[in-house]
Amino acid sequence: MGKYLDLHVIPRPEDTESCERMADLLSTARYATVGLTVATGLLNERIRSMRRIFEEHDVNTVLRADFKPGSRTELLRLLRRFRNLYDVVAVRCLNQQVATVSCRDRRVDVVFFDVGNRNLRFSHTFARLLRGAVEFNLVSDLMNQGDGWVFSRTRKAITVAREHHVNVILSSGARNYEMVRSPFQISALAMTLGLTQEESIRGVSSTPLSIVTENRKKRAPEYVEEGVKIVVPSRR
Amino acid sequence: MRPMTRRYLLVKVVCDRKLTNEQFHEALNNSARRYFGELGLSRIDPRIINFDAESSTAIVSCERTATSEFESAMALITSYAETPMSLLVLHVSGTVKGAARRKK
Repeated sequence: MGKYLDLHVIPRPEDTESCERMADLLSTARYATVGLTVATGLLNERIRSMRRIFEEHDVNTVLRADFKPGSRTELLRLLRRFRNLYDVVAVRCLNQQVATVSCRDRRVDVVFFDVGNRNLRFSHTFARLLRGAVEFNLVSDLMNQGDGWVFSRTRKAITVAREHHVNVILSSGARNYEMVRSPFQISALAMTLGLTQEESIRGVSSTPLSIVTENRKKRAPEYVEEGVKIVVPSRR
Repeated sequence: MRPMTRRYLLVKVVCDRKLTNEQFHEALNNSARRYFGELGLSRIDPRIINFDAESSTAIVSCERTATSEFESAMALITSYAETPMSLLVLHVSGTVKGAARRKK
Protein backbone atom coordinates (compact mmCIF):
# COMPACT_ATOMS: atom_id res chain seq x y z
CA MET A 1 0.00 0.00 0.00
CA GLY A 2 1.31 3.41 -0.94
CA LYS A 3 1.60 6.44 1.26
CA TYR A 4 0.16 8.95 -1.15
CA LEU A 5 -3.05 10.93 -0.88
CA ASP A 6 -5.13 12.74 -3.42
CA LEU A 7 -7.31 14.97 -1.33
CA HIS A 8 -9.50 16.26 -4.13
CA VAL A 9 -11.32 13.67 -6.18
CA ILE A 10 -14.81 14.52 -7.38
CA PRO A 11 -16.54 11.37 -8.65
CA ARG A 12 -20.11 11.42 -9.93
CA PRO A 13 -22.11 9.37 -7.41
CA GLU A 14 -24.77 8.43 -9.99
CA ASP A 15 -22.20 6.97 -12.41
CA THR A 16 -21.05 3.72 -10.80
CA GLU A 17 -19.03 2.62 -13.81
CA SER A 18 -16.97 5.80 -13.83
CA CYS A 19 -16.45 5.49 -10.05
CA GLU A 20 -15.24 1.89 -10.49
CA ARG A 21 -12.79 2.88 -13.19
CA MET A 22 -11.58 5.84 -11.22
CA ALA A 23 -11.02 3.69 -8.13
CA ASP A 24 -9.15 1.13 -10.20
CA LEU A 25 -6.81 3.76 -11.64
CA LEU A 26 -6.24 5.41 -8.27
CA SER A 27 -5.31 2.03 -6.85
CA THR A 28 -2.98 1.34 -9.81
CA ALA A 29 -1.37 4.74 -9.24
CA ARG A 30 -0.67 3.60 -5.64
CA TYR A 31 -2.80 6.06 -3.76
CA ALA A 32 -3.49 4.94 -0.20
CA THR A 33 -6.25 7.43 0.51
CA VAL A 34 -8.41 9.77 -1.51
CA GLY A 35 -10.58 12.67 -0.42
CA LEU A 36 -14.01 12.05 -1.91
CA THR A 37 -15.62 15.40 -2.50
CA VAL A 38 -19.35 15.11 -2.04
CA ALA A 39 -22.21 17.57 -2.16
CA THR A 40 -23.49 18.52 1.28
CA GLY A 41 -27.01 17.34 0.45
CA LEU A 42 -26.00 13.89 -0.84
CA LEU A 43 -27.80 10.94 0.74
CA ASN A 44 -25.77 8.86 3.20
CA GLU A 45 -26.64 5.72 1.29
CA ARG A 46 -25.10 7.11 -1.90
CA ILE A 47 -21.98 8.15 -0.01
CA ARG A 48 -21.66 4.68 1.56
CA SER A 49 -21.98 2.89 -1.78
CA MET A 50 -19.41 5.21 -3.35
CA ARG A 51 -16.97 4.64 -0.49
CA ARG A 52 -17.51 0.89 -0.78
CA ILE A 53 -16.48 0.99 -4.45
CA PHE A 54 -13.21 2.72 -3.59
CA GLU A 55 -12.52 0.53 -0.60
CA GLU A 56 -13.04 -2.62 -2.68
CA HIS A 57 -10.07 -1.40 -4.73
CA ASP A 58 -7.93 -0.94 -1.60
CA VAL A 59 -8.21 2.82 -1.59
CA ASN A 60 -9.20 4.38 1.74
CA THR A 61 -11.54 7.30 1.60
CA VAL A 62 -12.08 10.46 3.58
CA LEU A 63 -15.10 12.68 3.12
CA ARG A 64 -14.48 16.17 1.94
CA ALA A 65 -16.83 19.09 1.47
CA ASP A 66 -16.09 21.98 -0.86
CA PHE A 67 -17.79 25.21 0.09
CA LYS A 68 -18.25 27.99 -2.40
CA PRO A 69 -19.72 30.77 -0.27
CA GLY A 70 -20.49 34.11 -1.77
CA SER A 71 -20.04 36.03 1.47
CA ARG A 72 -18.47 35.85 4.90
CA THR A 73 -21.84 35.25 6.59
CA GLU A 74 -22.61 32.33 4.31
CA LEU A 75 -19.20 30.79 4.98
CA LEU A 76 -19.65 31.00 8.75
CA ARG A 77 -23.14 29.50 8.49
CA LEU A 78 -21.83 26.59 6.38
CA LEU A 79 -18.97 25.96 8.81
CA ARG A 80 -21.32 25.94 11.81
CA ARG A 81 -23.65 23.50 10.11
CA PHE A 82 -21.31 21.09 8.34
CA ARG A 83 -17.87 21.22 9.97
CA ASN A 84 -18.48 18.17 12.18
CA LEU A 85 -19.84 16.01 9.38
CA TYR A 86 -16.76 15.91 7.14
CA ASP A 87 -13.16 14.81 7.52
CA VAL A 88 -11.86 17.66 5.41
CA VAL A 89 -13.44 21.05 4.81
CA ALA A 90 -12.23 23.10 1.87
CA VAL A 91 -13.24 26.53 0.69
CA ARG A 92 -13.11 27.72 -2.89
CA CYS A 93 -12.34 31.41 -2.52
CA LEU A 94 -14.47 33.47 -4.86
CA ASN A 95 -13.90 36.91 -3.42
CA GLN A 96 -11.60 38.87 -1.13
CA GLN A 97 -13.94 38.79 1.86
CA VAL A 98 -14.42 35.00 1.79
CA ALA A 99 -10.72 34.40 1.17
CA THR A 100 -9.71 36.51 4.18
CA VAL A 101 -12.12 34.77 6.57
CA SER A 102 -11.40 31.26 5.31
CA CYS A 103 -7.63 31.75 5.55
CA ARG A 104 -8.00 32.99 9.13
CA ASP A 105 -10.63 30.53 10.40
CA ARG A 106 -9.10 27.42 11.94
CA ARG A 107 -12.12 25.30 11.06
CA VAL A 108 -11.14 25.55 7.42
CA ASP A 109 -8.56 22.91 6.50
CA VAL A 110 -7.88 23.80 2.92
CA VAL A 111 -8.35 26.88 0.79
CA PHE A 112 -8.03 26.98 -2.95
CA PHE A 113 -8.39 29.64 -5.57
CA ASP A 114 -10.04 29.51 -8.93
CA VAL A 115 -7.36 30.00 -11.61
CA GLY A 116 -9.98 31.33 -13.98
CA ASN A 117 -10.81 34.19 -11.61
CA ARG A 118 -8.66 37.11 -12.69
CA ASN A 119 -9.72 39.32 -9.79
CA LEU A 120 -8.47 37.10 -6.98
CA ARG A 121 -5.24 35.18 -6.49
CA PHE A 122 -3.28 33.65 -3.63
CA SER A 123 -1.38 36.74 -2.49
CA HIS A 124 1.01 37.59 0.34
CA THR A 125 -1.93 38.91 2.40
CA PHE A 126 -3.66 35.53 2.37
CA ALA A 127 -0.41 33.64 2.89
CA ARG A 128 0.22 35.64 6.08
CA LEU A 129 -3.28 34.89 7.40
CA LEU A 130 -3.40 31.23 6.41
CA ARG A 131 -3.85 28.69 9.22
CA GLY A 132 -4.68 25.60 7.19
CA ALA A 133 -3.18 24.76 3.84
CA VAL A 134 -3.40 26.07 0.33
CA GLU A 135 -4.30 23.58 -2.36
CA PHE A 136 -3.29 23.51 -5.99
CA ASN A 137 -5.51 21.35 -8.20
CA LEU A 138 -2.81 20.96 -10.77
CA VAL A 139 -4.39 18.52 -13.18
CA SER A 140 -7.85 20.07 -13.44
CA ASP A 141 -6.54 23.66 -13.51
CA LEU A 142 -3.83 23.12 -16.07
CA MET A 143 -5.79 20.71 -18.23
CA ASN A 144 -8.98 22.71 -18.50
CA GLN A 145 -7.42 26.09 -19.04
CA GLY A 146 -3.98 25.10 -20.22
CA ASP A 147 -2.79 28.41 -21.60
CA GLY A 148 0.41 30.17 -20.61
CA TRP A 149 -1.45 32.60 -18.41
CA VAL A 150 -2.69 29.85 -16.09
CA PHE A 151 0.80 28.39 -15.81
CA SER A 152 2.32 31.75 -14.88
CA ARG A 153 -0.45 32.42 -12.37
CA THR A 154 0.02 29.05 -10.68
CA ARG A 155 3.77 29.56 -10.64
CA LYS A 156 3.34 32.93 -8.90
CA ALA A 157 0.99 31.43 -6.31
CA ILE A 158 3.49 28.65 -5.61
CA THR A 159 6.26 31.23 -5.20
CA VAL A 160 4.15 33.11 -2.62
CA ALA A 161 3.39 29.87 -0.75
CA ARG A 162 7.08 28.96 -0.65
CA GLU A 163 8.08 32.40 0.53
CA HIS A 164 5.73 32.22 3.52
CA HIS A 165 6.39 28.54 4.27
CA VAL A 166 2.69 27.70 4.23
CA ASN A 167 1.43 24.14 3.95
CA VAL A 168 0.93 23.20 0.33
CA ILE A 169 -1.35 20.41 -0.82
CA LEU A 170 -1.13 19.10 -4.35
CA SER A 171 -4.21 17.40 -5.74
CA SER A 172 -5.58 16.38 -9.07
CA GLY A 173 -9.12 17.74 -8.78
CA ALA A 174 -10.14 14.77 -10.94
CA ARG A 175 -13.80 14.69 -12.01
CA ASN A 176 -13.51 11.49 -14.05
CA TYR A 177 -11.08 8.65 -14.59
CA GLU A 178 -9.36 10.45 -17.48
CA MET A 179 -8.13 13.09 -15.06
CA VAL A 180 -6.48 10.69 -12.63
CA ARG A 181 -2.71 11.10 -12.49
CA SER A 182 -0.10 9.35 -10.39
CA PRO A 183 1.49 11.11 -7.40
CA PHE A 184 4.80 11.16 -9.30
CA GLN A 185 3.20 13.18 -12.08
CA ILE A 186 1.49 15.60 -9.72
CA SER A 187 4.71 16.20 -7.83
CA ALA A 188 6.58 16.56 -11.14
CA LEU A 189 4.09 19.22 -12.28
CA ALA A 190 4.66 21.12 -9.05
CA MET A 191 8.43 20.85 -9.47
CA THR A 192 8.14 22.25 -12.96
CA LEU A 193 6.16 25.15 -11.50
CA GLY A 194 8.71 25.98 -8.82
CA LEU A 195 8.47 23.67 -5.80
CA THR A 196 11.45 21.62 -4.70
CA GLN A 197 11.33 17.83 -4.83
CA GLU A 198 10.90 17.49 -1.05
CA GLU A 199 8.12 20.08 -0.92
CA SER A 200 6.26 18.51 -3.81
CA ILE A 201 6.47 14.99 -2.37
CA ARG A 202 5.27 16.38 0.98
CA GLY A 203 2.33 17.97 -0.87
CA VAL A 204 0.99 14.58 -1.97
CA SER A 205 1.89 12.62 1.15
CA SER A 206 2.62 13.96 4.64
CA THR A 207 0.86 17.35 4.52
CA PRO A 208 -2.58 16.00 3.50
CA LEU A 209 -2.08 13.00 5.78
CA SER A 210 -1.47 15.23 8.80
CA ILE A 211 -4.70 17.15 8.08
CA VAL A 212 -6.71 13.93 7.81
CA THR A 213 -5.16 12.43 10.98
CA GLU A 214 -5.70 15.60 12.99
CA ASN A 215 -9.34 15.88 11.90
CA ARG A 216 -10.06 12.24 12.63
CA LYS A 217 -8.70 12.79 16.12
CA LYS A 218 -10.99 15.79 16.53
CA ARG A 219 -14.04 13.88 15.32
CA ALA A 220 -13.46 11.02 17.78
CA PRO A 221 -16.09 10.84 20.58
CA GLU A 222 -13.50 11.26 23.37
CA TYR A 223 -12.23 14.56 21.95
CA VAL A 224 -13.48 17.62 23.82
CA GLU A 225 -11.27 20.45 22.65
CA GLU A 226 -7.63 21.13 21.92
CA GLY A 227 -5.62 19.55 24.74
CA VAL A 228 -8.70 18.04 26.42
CA LYS A 229 -10.03 14.54 25.84
CA ILE A 230 -12.04 12.04 27.86
CA VAL A 231 -9.82 9.28 29.18
CA VAL A 232 -11.71 6.07 29.92
CA PRO A 233 -10.35 4.44 33.11
CA SER A 234 -8.75 1.09 32.46
CA ARG A 235 -10.50 -2.03 33.86
CA ARG A 236 -7.49 -3.28 35.78
CA MET B 1 32.69 14.44 -16.38
CA ARG B 2 29.74 12.30 -15.42
CA PRO B 3 28.13 10.60 -18.44
CA MET B 4 24.54 11.50 -19.32
CA THR B 5 22.37 8.94 -17.61
CA ARG B 6 18.75 8.11 -18.31
CA ARG B 7 15.65 7.32 -16.32
CA TYR B 8 13.21 4.59 -17.29
CA LEU B 9 9.54 5.10 -16.60
CA LEU B 10 6.83 2.49 -16.48
CA VAL B 11 3.71 4.06 -17.95
CA LYS B 12 0.11 2.90 -18.13
CA VAL B 13 -1.82 4.13 -21.15
CA VAL B 14 -5.50 4.85 -20.48
CA CYS B 15 -7.21 5.14 -23.85
CA ASP B 16 -10.31 3.58 -25.36
CA ARG B 17 -8.60 2.89 -28.67
CA LYS B 18 -5.56 0.73 -29.28
CA LEU B 19 -2.50 2.79 -30.13
CA THR B 20 0.45 1.78 -32.23
CA ASN B 21 4.03 2.41 -31.22
CA GLU B 22 4.27 5.35 -33.65
CA GLN B 23 1.07 6.95 -32.43
CA PHE B 24 2.22 6.67 -28.82
CA HIS B 25 5.57 8.20 -29.74
CA GLU B 26 3.81 11.03 -31.56
CA ALA B 27 1.58 11.72 -28.55
CA LEU B 28 4.61 11.89 -26.24
CA ASN B 29 6.59 14.15 -28.55
CA ASN B 30 3.67 16.46 -29.25
CA SER B 31 2.99 17.02 -25.56
CA ALA B 32 6.66 17.61 -24.71
CA ARG B 33 6.96 20.03 -27.64
CA ARG B 34 3.76 21.86 -26.72
CA TYR B 35 4.69 22.52 -23.11
CA PHE B 36 8.50 22.78 -23.27
CA GLY B 37 9.26 23.70 -26.87
CA GLU B 38 11.79 22.22 -29.26
CA LEU B 39 14.67 22.96 -26.90
CA GLY B 40 12.85 21.26 -24.02
CA LEU B 41 12.08 18.26 -26.22
CA SER B 42 15.74 17.89 -27.10
CA ARG B 43 16.65 18.15 -23.41
CA ILE B 44 14.06 15.50 -22.47
CA ASP B 45 14.98 13.25 -25.41
CA PRO B 46 12.07 10.81 -24.96
CA ARG B 47 12.47 7.26 -26.27
CA ILE B 48 10.18 4.28 -26.22
CA ILE B 49 11.91 1.17 -24.97
CA ASN B 50 8.93 -1.15 -25.01
CA PHE B 51 5.28 -0.58 -25.83
CA ASP B 52 2.80 -3.34 -25.11
CA ALA B 53 -0.53 -2.48 -26.71
CA GLU B 54 -2.23 -5.54 -25.18
CA SER B 55 -1.58 -4.63 -21.55
CA SER B 56 -1.53 -0.86 -22.32
CA THR B 57 1.80 -0.39 -20.62
CA ALA B 58 5.03 1.04 -21.89
CA ILE B 59 8.56 1.60 -20.74
CA VAL B 60 9.85 4.95 -21.89
CA SER B 61 13.09 6.71 -21.13
CA CYS B 62 14.30 10.29 -20.85
CA GLU B 63 17.36 12.21 -19.75
CA ARG B 64 17.83 12.02 -15.99
CA THR B 65 17.96 15.80 -15.56
CA ALA B 66 14.64 16.26 -17.39
CA THR B 67 12.59 13.56 -15.65
CA SER B 68 10.16 15.96 -13.99
CA GLU B 69 9.57 17.80 -17.27
CA PHE B 70 8.85 14.53 -19.02
CA GLU B 71 6.47 13.39 -16.27
CA SER B 72 4.70 16.77 -16.45
CA ALA B 73 4.38 16.53 -20.22
CA MET B 74 2.84 13.08 -19.83
CA ALA B 75 0.48 14.34 -17.12
CA LEU B 76 -0.82 17.03 -19.42
CA ILE B 77 -1.75 14.69 -22.27
CA THR B 78 -5.55 14.63 -22.50
CA SER B 79 -6.29 13.23 -25.94
CA TYR B 80 -4.84 11.74 -29.07
CA ALA B 81 -6.60 12.24 -32.41
CA GLU B 82 -9.74 13.41 -30.60
CA THR B 83 -9.87 10.27 -28.43
CA PRO B 84 -9.53 10.91 -24.69
CA MET B 85 -6.24 9.57 -23.45
CA SER B 86 -4.18 9.81 -20.30
CA LEU B 87 -0.87 8.41 -19.14
CA LEU B 88 -0.08 7.26 -15.62
CA VAL B 89 3.53 7.05 -14.53
CA LEU B 90 3.66 3.99 -12.27
CA HIS B 91 7.34 3.72 -11.55
CA VAL B 92 10.59 5.53 -12.23
CA SER B 93 13.77 3.50 -12.34
CA GLY B 94 17.43 3.85 -13.22
CA THR B 95 17.46 0.67 -15.28
CA VAL B 96 15.21 -0.97 -17.85
CA LYS B 97 15.27 -4.11 -15.75
CA GLY B 98 14.00 -2.25 -12.70
CA ALA B 99 11.09 -0.74 -14.63
CA ALA B 100 10.26 -4.10 -16.27
CA ARG B 101 10.21 -5.82 -12.88
CA ARG B 102 7.38 -3.54 -11.75
CA LYS B 103 5.39 -4.35 -14.84
CA LYS B 104 4.82 -7.92 -13.69
